[in-house]
Amino acid sequence: MREAIRPIPPRKSQYGIAPELVKRRLADYPDIRSVLVSDLFPETPPVIYPGPGGLEAVRRATEGAMDRLDLSMIKPGHSVNVLASHHGFTLVGGEAYAEMLRTIRQVIVKRTGCANVRLRAGVGLRFRETEEYIERFGLKADYQGRALGIAPVDEGIAIETEVGTLYGLRRAYDADWIVHAHNSDVREVHFHRQVDKVVKPFGMSYARIETRSTYHQNLGPRAANFIARAIFDAPFVQKKFAFAAFLVATPSGIVGVDADNDLYLLNDRITLFGCENYGKMMTLLGTIDQCVAVLDFPCPVPYVFSAGVIYANFVGANLDLFDLDAPLPPYTWYTEAFYGRRGPLVEEVPPLNPAVRMCLHNYAWVGYPSAFFSEHIPTVVVGEEQARLFDRDPQNLTYMKHAVVAGDTDAALAFCQKAAKTDCILVFDGAVGGVNASQSLVRNLQQAAPQVAQTVEERLLPKWLRQRGIDPDRVERFQP
Amino acid sequence: MKTVTLLAVIDVNRCTGCRTCERVCPVLAISMHDRKARVDPERCRGCGNCEQRCPEHAIVLEGRAPVLVGVDLAGMDYGRVAELCLKARLHPEQIICYCTASRADEAAAAILLGARSPEDISLATGIRTGCKVECIQPMLRLLEAAGIEPVPPPGGYQWYGKTVTAWELTAEVKAKYSARGFYFDEDLELFEKVLSSPYQGPGEGKDHA
Repeated sequence: MREAIRPIPPRKSQYGIAPELVKRRLADYPDIRSVLVSDLFPETPPVIYPGPGGLEAVRRATEGAMDRLDLSMIKPGHSVNVLASHHGFTLVGGEAYAEMLRTIRQVIVKRTGCANVRLRAGVGLRFRETEEYIERFGLKADYQGRALGIAPVDEGIAIETEVGTLYGLRRAYDADWIVHAHNSDVREVHFHRQVDKVVKPFGMSYARIETRSTYHQNLGPRAANFIARAIFDAPFVQKKFAFAAFLVATPSGIVGVDADNDLYLLNDRITLFGCENYGKMMTLLGTIDQCVAVLDFPCPVPYVFSAGVIYANFVGANLDLFDLDAPLPPYTWYTEAFYGRRGPLVEEVPPLNPAVRMCLHNYAWVGYPSAFFSEHIPTVVVGEEQARLFDRDPQNLTYMKHAVVAGDTDAALAFCQKAAKTDCILVFDGAVGGVNASQSLVRNLQQAAPQVAQTVEERLLPKWLRQRGIDPDRVERFQP
Repeated sequence: MKTVTLLAVIDVNRCTGCRTCERVCPVLAISMHDRKARVDPERCRGCGNCEQRCPEHAIVLEGRAPVLVGVDLAGMDYGRVAELCLKARLHPEQIICYCTASRADEAAAAILLGARSPEDISLATGIRTGCKVECIQPMLRLLEAAGIEPVPPPGGYQWYGKTVTAWELTAEVKAKYSARGFYFDEDLELFEKVLSSPYQGPGEGKDHA
């Protein structure tokens, strides 16, 4: 059995404890081993990063994808905003996304003579997160000083859409042209349900609070992402849209870059690709019947991930999150909203994944309302410093009300395994290329994978695509 | 309901008087005096918007003696509270602020007690003082249902306006996009089912504080 994959080291951030306070990672334990995604699903596409080609492979892939683009609309005297989002910087360490952003600028400058190319990097609920990434990856210098983090409470701009006025961020749109620079990682499938996923940032990281609240409160769990399409289709946005470039990810790493002047053609390719590749891994993790889930990655609680599946999806893996016939995932904000004071208001609220017997919170950040998780899943947090950090976060003032604190990782792990009565451990540490888990769980995953692959290919994938109006025979496939 | 444990503190030596903090404060706790920002500790709900957006990093959140803010439903006519929620198409007991786990009934009660704007509701309940993002629409829907037309704070970025709901999407829009995986009518049906579900009444420990 393979040794554990070394996870990305702790990161210095205002949203996490100091890296030196993270004394031990789960990958350090002898029982934690790994299995590669490519061993579980041999048909998974080859990865270009990480790999022997290094970042140069990402650069070449970006240049190759952009070769196919029409950039003739951008003139030397124009301004261009390259719109980016925070999640891309959490994939395989973030450098690949940063490299794509650098390359996009260079290609635009080279091909159009336009030098006024700015980076506008949107965020989720940690308003300085992309400021930190811009600094970490040196993007301010790469963009000649024209790089900014933008947040949903910043000055807005009204956008007239097919469904009335919605609101974007003024600084996202304060250029002649916009470039949508994102990634294909499925990530929050509980929210967007892989419906128009590539359009989502227009309703999220490029949008104001009014729009984001519309998404999460006004439209419903399977209609929500329409708000992103409404904004993207607005004449104001359409007249500025130049092209989209996407870092294409799978649960095993970066497989390429895709770009298009037509976002909806790209949308079909990415929807298909995402359902095929992430669908198998999510379905596989859904076969786990018991485990301790370990959070061990520098990002907020719901976003820590294992082979491309985030914790927020795993707590809902008792349901098929891609299946739109299911109205509510076990975790999504609509689901959370529909918990009354004595329990769910309606029977459509499904229980959280009973396989998650306990959560060992070894290392994860604040900056996302996460009390729902500790309220519903017995949670052990490592270290008083981390507990204090959560107590001081305006979004998590009650997270620790439901969790207990262990002095160190050893004690937390021993307690969790004893209390949960299982030796199965699934580590959400962003291990690149595979899953870190206990030996027992690795064996279970290896045994289950072939059947999962067959089920997804023959039964689930056709249904998912049919629900999304995608005919795989008519969609041009992404070519890594 | 929220227990406020943090207070925004300005470093006046760093403050340039740019007014960003004033423009993003959801409870109007910040004002300018001699081109320097000043925080009203009585109003501050410790949300951190100012700290997160100050371009000069001139604001920090410091601990303070806990202050419980919230509207006590015990003394309210719950029938009126519920009526307002349902008019806004919110179940009275559904959560509308995921950070404070505040429910629609508390925001409605705040309005019935005199809140006339999202800022008033935030001040009274702590709603929109966690993530500061996701709960603005339910607040605006409740105010509209109460016949109130709030005006955004002049020059501020606190909020701009109410937006579309599931009940207002046209048949034309639904017909045009349903084939692409948007389940408009099915979600509307779910909302209606939630609205018609019975009240559960007070529970134990289900309201964060």
